[in-house]
Amino acid sequence: MLSYLSRSAHLAPALKSTAQAVANGTKNIIPGVYEGVVVELVQPPPKALTAYTMAKRCATGPVRASAGIAVSSQVRYAHTDIQVPDFSDYRRDDVKDSRAKSSVESASSRRSFTYMVVGGGVVTGLYTAKSIVTQFVSSMSASADVLALAKIEIKLDDIPEGKSVTFKWRGKPLFVKHRTDEEIETETSVDVGSLRDPEADSVRCQDPKWLVVVGVCTHLGCVPIADAGDFGGYYCPCHGSHYDSSGRIRKGPAPLNLEVPTYVFPEDGVLLVG
Amino acid sequence: MHYTRGHITFSRPGTCIIAKMAAVACRGVRTVLGKSAGTSILTHQSAKFSTLREMATARKAVLAAMGVVGGGAAGLAYALNQSVKASDLELHTVKFPWSHDGVFSSLDHASIRRGYEVYKNVCAACHSMKYIAFRNLVGVSHTEAEAKDEAMGVQIDDGPDDEGMMFKRPGKLSDYFPNPYPNDEAARAANNGALPPDLSYITSARHGGENYIFSLLTGYCDPPAGVTVREGLYYNPYFVGGAIGMAQALYNEVMEYSDGTPATASQMAKDVSVFLKWAAEPEHDDRKRMALKAIMMFSMLFTITYYIKRHKWAVLKSRKIAYKPPQ
Amino acid sequence: MAGAISRVYQNIFRRTSTFILAAVGGAFMFERGFDLLTEGIYDNINQGKLWKHVKHRYGQASLEDEEEE
Repeated sequence: MLSYLSRSAHLAPALKSTAQAVANGTKNIIPGVYEGVVVELVQPPPKALTAYTMAKRCATGPVRASAGIAVSSQVRYAHTDIQVPDFSDYRRDDVKDSRAKSSVESASSRRSFTYMVVGGGVVTGLYTAKSIVTQFVSSMSASADVLALAKIEIKLDDIPEGKSVTFKWRGKPLFVKHRTDEEIETETSVDVGSLRDPEADSVRCQDPKWLVVVGVCTHLGCVPIADAGDFGGYYCPCHGSHYDSSGRIRKGPAPLNLEVPTYVFPEDGVLLVG
Repeated sequence: MHYTRGHITFSRPGTCIIAKMAAVACRGVRTVLGKSAGTSILTHQSAKFSTLREMATARKAVLAAMGVVGGGAAGLAYALNQSVKASDLELHTVKFPWSHDGVFSSLDHASIRRGYEVYKNVCAACHSMKYIAFRNLVGVSHTEAEAKDEAMGVQIDDGPDDEGMMFKRPGKLSDYFPNPYPNDEAARAANNGALPPDLSYITSARHGGENYIFSLLTGYCDPPAGVTVREGLYYNPYFVGGAIGMAQALYNEVMEYSDGTPATASQMAKDVSVFLKWAAEPEHDDRKRMALKAIMMFSMLFTITYYIKRHKWAVLKSRKIAYKPPQ
Repeated sequence: MAGAISRVYQNIFRRTSTFILAAVGGAFMFERGFDLLTEGIYDNINQGKLWKHVKHRYGQASLEDEEEE
């Protein structure tokens, strides 16, 4: 409480000029008259150190400015001593001249331009994003050397009629059989309903002269022997599965026909598997 | 005080407007405002935030000394390294004006094709290119049919067959360029103990790249006085040490180009350099095409981003907050 | 001019849905146009050097006989 007792520094203006007070917004400026021993308790204005103390020094409520013969007041507006900066760098040409037409007129064109630029940003951003995404996604696809090995081109002229030739394709044996007319006839005349894995010969061979199958037994993955077995096709030595000349399972434990890979004949005498 | 795009708005007319606005604004920078009563806060802000001012003099001195010593040590290490580099007596290659030098300049594909012919007829006798496959030529220097023919022209080891034997077969597109020697030891034995390097990435593996290849191939000359070259070695000033195990391979008319270009030694050296450049950087053309696209795209994006930034910041930039302390 | 701009603004830019739609639609056209433009510039810079420029010299003709230019 001691500090609240008459601090001369704060009281000085009040003591000195009883008739003239500057209403600078601080509270409790009381034009006082020193009367002998009477000690006026005046709360000193808080030091402006924090937002709170500064706010305390501000005028609250409606600001009153009183003027009169005894009390002269001075009201100072900021624009008399602070220069207004030049912001024309940040203003659009349409609204730079304050005397010209109202800014409302050019509002839609100004906004359109901004939206157009933003739209351009979206478009270019989409293009960039798409390029980057496709780049990363395509890196997950098979590399060129793998793709180059994924296809095998076979010259069919080298395969004599009635023979089955084995190729290596994607690490697996591939049987290509040049079937004779008899074999074609036998296979086409088989009753599909009597088969374990019913499939017509015409479904399995694009060209009836050529049978193309993956040489992996569907039972337990052994490699069957070509041109062997009870049905003239393939015979698996492991557990005795007999396949016919269309690669279909006819006898033995295997549940399914030999797998037919995707293949095309791009030109006469050439087979492209894969 | 609050200005927005030219409209001056006083939120509260009154005697203490400045102090009031400052009080509102100073929440973020209250320490600065608190300390700097009486000075202009706008001009001395950076000085107020800097911690250097408060640092002890001794600490400053120690830090400065550390910086000087560290910089000096790095400079010394660099200088020592440079002095080591200058010790060899080899000739450094000059920079040749390649047609693919420009930022957006592609390789000369006709030259790549001729360079392949040079490699096939001259270099391939000793040098392998085991990372280049015949399929890589498709669409670069040969059509698919031509590349297949090129592949068919070589015999590739394959196997094992049904009897477990390795066998030879004509090449396919997926095959890589054949190695002239079965292994490195055989290559050394056939070349006086020198191993002909694999040429797949040779332009990336040598200082100077294709310039070095060209200089080396055309730089054979008699050794200068006082330099003796061992038997079986040849003098080439561009080779480290000067003595190279490879004899001069390119002479005028040592082969014929299929497109009729006169096969001078320098023409062949230039073409094979371009071919090897392509082999080491097959993505060269795509890379430069992407660079063109990326530069155009990012300059567009930059312009747009800059506009949007200014647009969004205009409100913040076109206001001024001033604080006038009470007298 | 001003009428067209305000019409575009009223019909496309004002509504977020139409704005996004226009931007995505524009992206497709832009992709095509930009690719054509950059490829054109690149081909122009490297006139006579790229494979597609020299391809016609080889191919079938050279397989039959050595071609003389």
